Amino acid sequence: MPVLSVEGVGKTYTRGEAPVVAVREVDLFLGKGEFVALTGPSGCGKSTLLHLCGGMDYPTRGRIWLDGSDLGSLDEASLTRIRRRRIGFVFQSFNLLPTLTAVENTALPLMLDGVSPDVARRKATGLLERLGLLHRLDHYPQQLSGGEMQRVGIARAVCHDPLLLLADEPTGNLDSANGADVLELLQELNRSLGVTVLLATHSAEMAAAGQRVLHMVDGGIESETHSRRPIARPDRDNEGG
Amino acid sequence: MFLFRTFILRRIREEKLRALATVLGVALGIAVVLAVRMANQSSVRSFETALEMVAGKTSLEIVGSGSGLREERLLELDWLEQFGQISPVIEGEARASFPSGDREWLKILGVDILRDETFRDYRLVRFAGRQQSPSPREFLELLSDPGAIVLTQKLARRHSLDPGSGLDLDIGDRREALTVRGLLLDRGPARALNGTFALMDIAAAQWLLGRLGRIDRVDLRLKPEISIDRAEAAIAARLPEGLTVQRPSRRGRQVEKMLESFHFNLTALSHIALLVGLFLIYNTVSLSVVTRRREVGILRAVGGSRRQVAGLFLAEAGLLAALGCALGVLLGGWMARGALRLTGSTLDRLYIRSAAEPVALGPEHLVLAFAVGIPLALLAALVPALEASRVAPTEAVRGADRVESRFRLSWRQRWLPPILSTLAVGFACLDSVEGIPLFGYAACLSTVFAVAFLVPVVLHFSGRAGSRLTRRWTGVEALLANANLSGSIPRISISVAALAVSLSMVTAITIMIGSFRETVQYWVEQTLRADLFVAPATRSNVYSESSLSPEVVRVVADNPRVAAVDPFTGFVIDYQGRRVLLGSGDFKVHLDRSGLLIKAPRQGQSAMRTAIGEDAAVVSESFALRHRKAVGDRLVLNTDRGRRGFRVAAVYYDYSSDQGVVVLDRSTFRKYYGDRPPRSLAVYLKDGLDPEGVRAEILAALPLESRVFVHTNASLKAEVLRIFDNTFTITYALEIIAVAVAILGVATTLVTLILDRKPELALLRWAGAEQRQIRKMVIIEAALLGAVSQGLGVVAGILLSLILVFVINVQSFGWTIQFHLPAGFLLQSSLLILLATALSGIYPAYRAGRMPPAREA
Repeated sequence: MPVLSVEGVGKTYTRGEAPVVAVREVDLFLGKGEFVALTGPSGCGKSTLLHLCGGMDYPTRGRIWLDGSDLGSLDEASLTRIRRRRIGFVFQSFNLLPTLTAVENTALPLMLDGVSPDVARRKATGLLERLGLLHRLDHYPQQLSGGEMQRVGIARAVCHDPLLLLADEPTGNLDSANGADVLELLQELNRSLGVTVLLATHSAEMAAAGQRVLHMVDGGIESETHSRRPIARPDRDNEGG
Repeated sequence: MFLFRTFILRRIREEKLRALATVLGVALGIAVVLAVRMANQSSVRSFETALEMVAGKTSLEIVGSGSGLREERLLELDWLEQFGQISPVIEGEARASFPSGDREWLKILGVDILRDETFRDYRLVRFAGRQQSPSPREFLELLSDPGAIVLTQKLARRHSLDPGSGLDLDIGDRREALTVRGLLLDRGPARALNGTFALMDIAAAQWLLGRLGRIDRVDLRLKPEISIDRAEAAIAARLPEGLTVQRPSRRGRQVEKMLESFHFNLTALSHIALLVGLFLIYNTVSLSVVTRRREVGILRAVGGSRRQVAGLFLAEAGLLAALGCALGVLLGGWMARGALRLTGSTLDRLYIRSAAEPVALGPEHLVLAFAVGIPLALLAALVPALEASRVAPTEAVRGADRVESRFRLSWRQRWLPPILSTLAVGFACLDSVEGIPLFGYAACLSTVFAVAFLVPVVLHFSGRAGSRLTRRWTGVEALLANANLSGSIPRISISVAALAVSLSMVTAITIMIGSFRETVQYWVEQTLRADLFVAPATRSNVYSESSLSPEVVRVVADNPRVAAVDPFTGFVIDYQGRRVLLGSGDFKVHLDRSGLLIKAPRQGQSAMRTAIGEDAAVVSESFALRHRKAVGDRLVLNTDRGRRGFRVAAVYYDYSSDQGVVVLDRSTFRKYYGDRPPRSLAVYLKDGLDPEGVRAEILAALPLESRVFVHTNASLKAEVLRIFDNTFTITYALEIIAVAVAILGVATTLVTLILDRKPELALLRWAGAEQRQIRKMVIIEAALLGAVSQGLGVVAGILLSLILVFVINVQSFGWTIQFHLPAGFLLQSSLLILLATALSGIYPAYRAGRMPPAREA
């Protein structure tokens, strides 16, 4: 069963008098451990589609199933729980809370879910150590470099072992060296944790990292290409761990 | 104007709630200041107007030693007629009971109508039921009827009285029935005191007031060609011993002086709410600048000058303040009535019976509101406005719209608190300026500002401590709340400072009042030793007729169960332009039985014994401080036998009057002032008797028409404390308003912080925070703000209370108060503040909870 099924989904915003179609008739299926890239020019609807898949917004048409739940039929509170437990999101501008330290930012989804501060902190520390940020645990975002901030952002996105990791232009604010590091990290997490990744990017080079590349134009998926990269299986059995 | 419209007005429209809260804060501040000012004006003005109206065309008056002069002395004064016309006058007060059951105090003026017509302007409108004035003969007959009284039209209307109606008057312990014989047109003295004025013939008034053979003063209307200065000097030189010439306005000035401290303290208190309102302006403009740095940067980048930028923010402050002032004037007019009611009962009880009517709201108050409110608001907004003008155009490009990162101590936070604290200590050591503790208030103000500048430092350290605590011991909401506050120190400092300052004032005043109450309670325990206290029903500090009749004294003294009686007599005298109570008691009975608390000398009892039968006085602490008299000094009093010097034998603690009391032994008093009926009796019973039983016996033995209160020791003590508590009601009312304004400030700050933190809140929502969790976080933030404010407020409040107790109180009222810390109350109020601030977070929490999750935050 696919982790994510998007069936005939559309999203129309009303801006003033005129309706604006951001996403039209999209069908998309993501299997467990897949790494799929979503490309297309600015304004083609990549980010909107990501937000719909991440349960941050409701579609105006069609259905989105995540791990068997119909996101469109859930109320706000259930959607919040799904985001907290099943989804990780990496933003272009990192979006770390400036008032929390690196380790607190990372542990945030766990703590929001009621995990004890000690356990959450331990898990976040382990993750940050793995990402080479052990010396930055108690630093605030403004004391970190862009690359480090994004690594904390990624750590936060996977700290709660999500099924689906959504990344929206995660290297957009980074130089090429840091961008390459981040991409490599995402691939490594995909491989080691078996987390399904949907990566939105307008860079062809980044998109090439995906096993499948979906090309979006004017809100719809126009074409799909496949690479020969194998689908990730987790290095270890990390379910619930 | 374009910039103001687009940059400021639109923003205000978007954030109506914040603007509204600011306007309301300023309005409350202005309203309280105006209300207290109007109430103060009302009390002084009503007295002065009454004085002027009753004085009429009197240019000078001849007064006796304190309680008037004997009638026969008029014969020694016939030479006064070479200066103009003279008219003897007696004034008194009585409590009238009307047929409707209502009661009001009446000022009774007794005059010799034949002589007095040219002094005062009376016109009878209704006489003996006829709509016309009486003939002079009828008028004379009417006044000389001892049961006749003439009231004002206004009073008659109020109580539906007509000529022929009866009314009862309580004078001292007696009740007399009188008949209304005529009504005065509302002009001249009839306009005074809200119509509570009655006219009688002098002889009838002497009889009614129980002062046969005595008059209060002789009014003199000078011939037009004689200058008042020359006449005053010439008369003074010729007056026999014991008489003084003065202008009628002197009594007005005495009252002004007497109320000076009371009014000054109220005015100072009323400015706290204004101060907090101005903090709100500072807060609003600061937040406006902080949250719009990027826009300011853009404005500067496209060519806006620094002056324009500063001008915009000042204009915002000006606009909000102007709206606040306008609303404040309306609110103030409405609140003045309440303030007058609250201060009125204290004035009536402790100072003068004023029958004050609220001063009407006039252009003067409008001008005052704007003249105080706008410049102060602009001053408050100046610092943030200048800060805005220094924003570099590059900040627009960098997008540096979030200024706070890690908090660093600025020189202001580092140096100002110690400098201001040192200043406060210095000020507290300085003496008062003409009886007004100006430096005491300067010390308070320095302390308040020291606290305000200390707030960011305290927030910084409490945030660090909080982060250690929340990391381990609390849920994620508390951790986030603490982190949010630690990250917003520059923004929240002002609201916390405003709240801390108003809470410190409340704490200080509560401690002061609490200490005062404890002291009074101790004093009452020590000094009120008698088993029973007998006083006329109209007993009052301010009312000279409140004396006991000989029958009552006899009934008490003749009771076989009574061991000793200490009669207290006294009246208000003019001592160096101030009103002072001159009293007499039986020092021997006092020394044997009572426990007067002597402040100096150390051997108080034996010092007091030396005063028995001698030209020596015992003075209250407030008298000693106000007039700078110490044991051994001489004070000169105007007696019936002329001016006489008295040695100060001892200074005693007294909390019954801040005007000062001079007490002579009974025999000395009788020697210089003659026999006077007592104002009260302290009654000591033989051992082992039940005071309640003797009280009942005395009451049963009194003549039926006697109107006397017989208090037992316990009931009098309770009464003293009840009056004490009543006196401070207005203080609490003013404080609560200041705290309410400050809490309003916290709520607005939270709403602004939330609007400003939209991206982070959205991010939290994305990360899986439920609405419930966000709401909880905001409420914890509000409670944390309250906790820090109250913590600081309590510490600063204790410091301020030391200044209040040991500097301001001593300097303005001359009272030594024992310091007492009401720990239970402080704990309770802390919990209450925590709850109130947490509640103030409900609306911001609701707004925060409704934020949608992030897209690209």
